[in-house]
Amino acid sequence: MKQIGEPILTADRITLAFGGITALNAISIGIRQHEILAMIGPNGAGKTSMLNVINGFYHPQAGTITWKGETRRRVRPYHAAAQGIARTFQNVALFKGMTTLDNIMTGRLLQMRRNFLWQAIHFGPAEQEELAHRARVERIIDFLEIQAIRKTPVGRLPYGLQKRVELGRALAMEPELLLLDEPMAGMNVEEKEDMCRLILDINDEFGTTIALIEHDMGVVMDISDRVVVLDYGRKIADGPPEEVRVSPDVIAAYLGEER
Amino acid sequence: MNFFVVEVLIGGLLTGVLYALVALGFVLIFKASAVFNFAQGSMCLFAALALVRLMEVMPLPLALLAAAAIMIGLAFAIERLVLRPLVNQAAIILFMATIGITFFLDGFGQSLFGSKVYTLDLGIPKNPLILFESIIPGGILVNEFDLWAAVAAGLLVAVLAVFFQRTRIGRALRAVADDHQAAQSVGIPLRHIWVIVWSVAGLVALVAGIIWGSKLGVQFSIALVALKALPVLMLGGLTSVPGAIVGGLIVGAGEKLSEVFLGPFLGGGIENWFAYVLALLFLLARPQGLFGERIIERV
Amino acid sequence: MIYREAGQFRTSYAADQAVFPVLQDRVFVWAIALFAFVVVPFAASEYLLRAILVPFLILAIAAIGLNLLVGYCGQISLGSAAFMAVGAYVSYDVTVHLPWLNLLLVFLIGGLCAAAAGVVFGLPSLRIKGYYLAVATLAAQFFFDWLFIRVPWFTNYASSGSVSAPPLRIFGLSFESPAGRYLLCLGLLTVAALVAKNLVRGRMGRIWMATRDMDIAAEIIGIRPLHAKLSAFAISSFIIGISGALWAFVHLGSWEPLAFSIDRSFALLFMVVIGGLGSILGCFFGAAFITIVPIFLNQVPAALGIPLSTAMVSHLEFMTFGALIVFFLIVEPNGLARLWAIGREKLRLWPFPH
Repeated sequence: MKQIGEPILTADRITLAFGGITALNAISIGIRQHEILAMIGPNGAGKTSMLNVINGFYHPQAGTITWKGETRRRVRPYHAAAQGIARTFQNVALFKGMTTLDNIMTGRLLQMRRNFLWQAIHFGPAEQEELAHRARVERIIDFLEIQAIRKTPVGRLPYGLQKRVELGRALAMEPELLLLDEPMAGMNVEEKEDMCRLILDINDEFGTTIALIEHDMGVVMDISDRVVVLDYGRKIADGPPEEVRVSPDVIAAYLGEER
Repeated sequence: MNFFVVEVLIGGLLTGVLYALVALGFVLIFKASAVFNFAQGSMCLFAALALVRLMEVMPLPLALLAAAAIMIGLAFAIERLVLRPLVNQAAIILFMATIGITFFLDGFGQSLFGSKVYTLDLGIPKNPLILFESIIPGGILVNEFDLWAAVAAGLLVAVLAVFFQRTRIGRALRAVADDHQAAQSVGIPLRHIWVIVWSVAGLVALVAGIIWGSKLGVQFSIALVALKALPVLMLGGLTSVPGAIVGGLIVGAGEKLSEVFLGPFLGGGIENWFAYVLALLFLLARPQGLFGERIIERV
Repeated sequence: MIYREAGQFRTSYAADQAVFPVLQDRVFVWAIALFAFVVVPFAASEYLLRAILVPFLILAIAAIGLNLLVGYCGQISLGSAAFMAVGAYVSYDVTVHLPWLNLLLVFLIGGLCAAAAGVVFGLPSLRIKGYYLAVATLAAQFFFDWLFIRVPWFTNYASSGSVSAPPLRIFGLSFESPAGRYLLCLGLLTVAALVAKNLVRGRMGRIWMATRDMDIAAEIIGIRPLHAKLSAFAISSFIIGISGALWAFVHLGSWEPLAFSIDRSFALLFMVVIGGLGSILGCFFGAAFITIVPIFLNQVPAALGIPLSTAMVSHLEFMTFGALIVFFLIVEPNGLARLWAIGREKLRLWPFPH
C-alpha cells in the first residue's frame, strides 16, 4: 500500500491571462507526494496552461508556486527541470533528428558532469560516464519495452511509440514530479491499457509523483488517487474520483444544465 | 543648425530609398514563398545588363518590354528548375539553392551580355539642384536623378503594398507563404503563385537595376548592392513592405551620417559594416525587425 | 559478399557506441589512414600535394568547425571566413611579437582568439533566430574585413597590407617541403576530426542537436540555451580559427585581408551543406568537392580544345558551379554523406538485389 505524503508542490492562487483572456483564475492546487493526480475539464479549461506554469513556460501574473518548500512565481524551464520536474507534451516534443536512444539519453544530460575537454578526448572519465548513463537508459528502454526501436530516428516512429519515447525521456531525468499532458491521446484501447500499466508502475516502483491531464474518464477513474476539475480557468472540484464523479458542479460543466 | 548634416541626411535618405527598392524584391519573394532569395542582387544585374544590351538594338520602350519579358521568363525557369524540385525542403536548402542561382546568373549574365561596364542613360536628368533656398541659406544640394529615383521607388512600393493587402492574388500569396500544403489543400495553385511572385520580383529587380545602373554604370558591383539590402531587411522585417522602406531610410541615413561623423575617428570605410551593426542593435530590441511578423513558437 | 555484418555481435555498450562498429569499416578506415600518412607523402607529386591536397585538408578542418555550428547546433553562420581571418592574423601577430613561441601554441592562441570573437558575434543568437541570425553573422564578416585593412597594427604596419608567414618549424623540424606541409595539415585534421567526433557523440553533441531540433523543448530537459549556443559558437570558431591560421601559414604563405572575404564564407557553407549537415564524414566530401570542382572546371575547356578568354572561362565556372550546387541540392538535400550511406546500404546486399 503506497503512502501518500505531504504536498510536494502547491500552486497558490495562480492567475494567468493572455491579453483579454483569463486562462487561469486564482487557482490553488496541491499535489501530494507519491500520488497520481488527474486534471480534467473541457477543452480550453486551462489544464495545459496550469502545467505550463508549473513547468516555467508561462509566467503567471499573480500567485506563487511552492516546490519542495521553495516559493517562487516565475522560473525558467531549465531550472524547473533541474529541480526535479519533468514533462511530456500533447504534441510530442521529441528531437526528431535523433534516435530513440539519443532522445532518452538527452534526459540524462542534467546528471552528466564531465565537461567538453574530457569529452573531446573521450577515452577515460567521459567514456565511463557515457556508459554508466547508457546502462540506466537501457533499463528504462527495457521497462518501456521499446528495445526494437532503439536506433530508429524518432521522426519515423508511429505516434503511440513516440509518446512512449517521450515518456522514457522524462523518466530518464529521474524526476520527483512527472507532468503528463494527455499521454493517451490518439491511442486505441490496448495502447491505453499499456500506458496505464506503465504509469502505475512508474508510480509504484520509482515513487514518482504524477500529475496528468486526461480526457478518458475510464482511465481517470481507474488510476488516479485524486481528481481536479477545471472549467474556464476555475477549479470546480477537487477530491477522490468517486466524489468528483457525482459532484453536481462537474456534471453541470460536462453535460450542461437543464433549463 | 549645421546644414551640412541636413544635406548628408537627405542624401542618405535618398540612397536609402534605393536600398529599399532592392530589399523590396526580397520581401516579395519571402512573403509569398518563404524563400530568402539571395539571388535578388544578381537579378538586378541580369536585368540591367539585358536592358542595356537590348537598348543597343531597339528603341527604349521596346527594350523595356523585352527586358521585362526576359525577367518573366527567368521566373518561369527558376520555378520549374529549382523551386518545384525543392518544394518541401528545409529553409537552409532553399537558401543555398538561391546562392547557387546567384552564381549561375552572375556567370550567365556576363557571358551572355558581356562583362564591360556599360552606361545606362534613360534620359533622366542628373543635374544638381538646390532646394529649400528660401528656408535655408544656401539651400540643400541634391541630385535631380536621386529625387526621380525616390519618386519611382515610392510609387512602386505603394502599388505593391496595395496589391498585397487588397487583392485576391495578394491574399493567396500570403497563404502560400504561411503554409504550402494548407494553401494547396484549399486549391491555390502553388506553381502559378510562385511564377507570379518571382516575375514581380524580377520586374522590381529590373527597376532597381535601371536606377542603380544609371547611377553607377551597369557593372558587376550592382550584384553586391544586395549585400547592402540585407541590413535593411533585418531592420524592417523580412515580411514587411513598409518595413523595407523604413528600414531603407534608416540604413541609408545611418550609413551616410556615420561615415561623415564617426568615420574620421575610426579610420574611415566603416560604411560596409555599420549598417549591419546598426541593424543588429535594432534586432536585439525587436528580434523580428521593426515591422516583421512575430515568430511565435509553441511546443 | 565482402561487406557483411553477419557474425559480428556487439556484446557491450562500448562496442555498440564505437565510431566504426562494423569490422570492414574499421579496416577500411585504418587502411586509408595508413595510406594517407605513409604512402601519399612519398608517392604524390609536388603539385598534387601543394595545390590540391593541402587546401583540401585545411578546408576539411574548417568544414568540421562550421558543421558543428550549422549542422549539429542549427545556427546558420554566413561570416565564418571572418573567424579564419582572426585565427590567421592573431597567429601572425603572435609570431611577430613572440617569435620564439612554438608554432602549435601560436595556432592554439589564434584559435582561442577566434573562439572569443565567435562568442561575441554569437551572442545575438540568444535573441535572434533563423534568417535574421544568418544576416547578423554577416556583421562579423564585414567588421573583420574592415578591421584587418584599417587597423595597421594587425598587419604589423606593412605598407602593402599583405603579410608573410614565418618559416614552418616545429620542435626544430622543418615542415616547409610540400610533404611536410601535407603531413602537418593531415595531423591537425586527424586531431580535429577525432575531437569533433567525440564531442558530437557525447553530451555536447546531444545538447547541440536538441537545441537544433527544438530549442524550446530542449529547456525542459535542463539545457540552458545560452550554454548550448555559445559553446557551439566558441568551439566551432576555435576550429575555424585554426584552419584560418593554417590556410594563411601553410597554404598561402603570404596573404592579404581579401583572402578571407565573403566568397570564402560561402565556400565554407557550401562544403558543409553539400557534404552533409550533421555529418563529420560529410565535411571531407564537401571539402573535396569545393577543392576539386573549380580545378576540374578550369581544365575542361582546354581539354576540349575550345579557345576561350579567361574572363569567359571564369564566367562558365561560375555558371557550372551554381548549377552543380542546385543539382546536388535537388538530388540529395542531405548531402554527399547521405549518398555515401545509401551506397553502403546497397553494398551490404551486393551482389544480391534484395
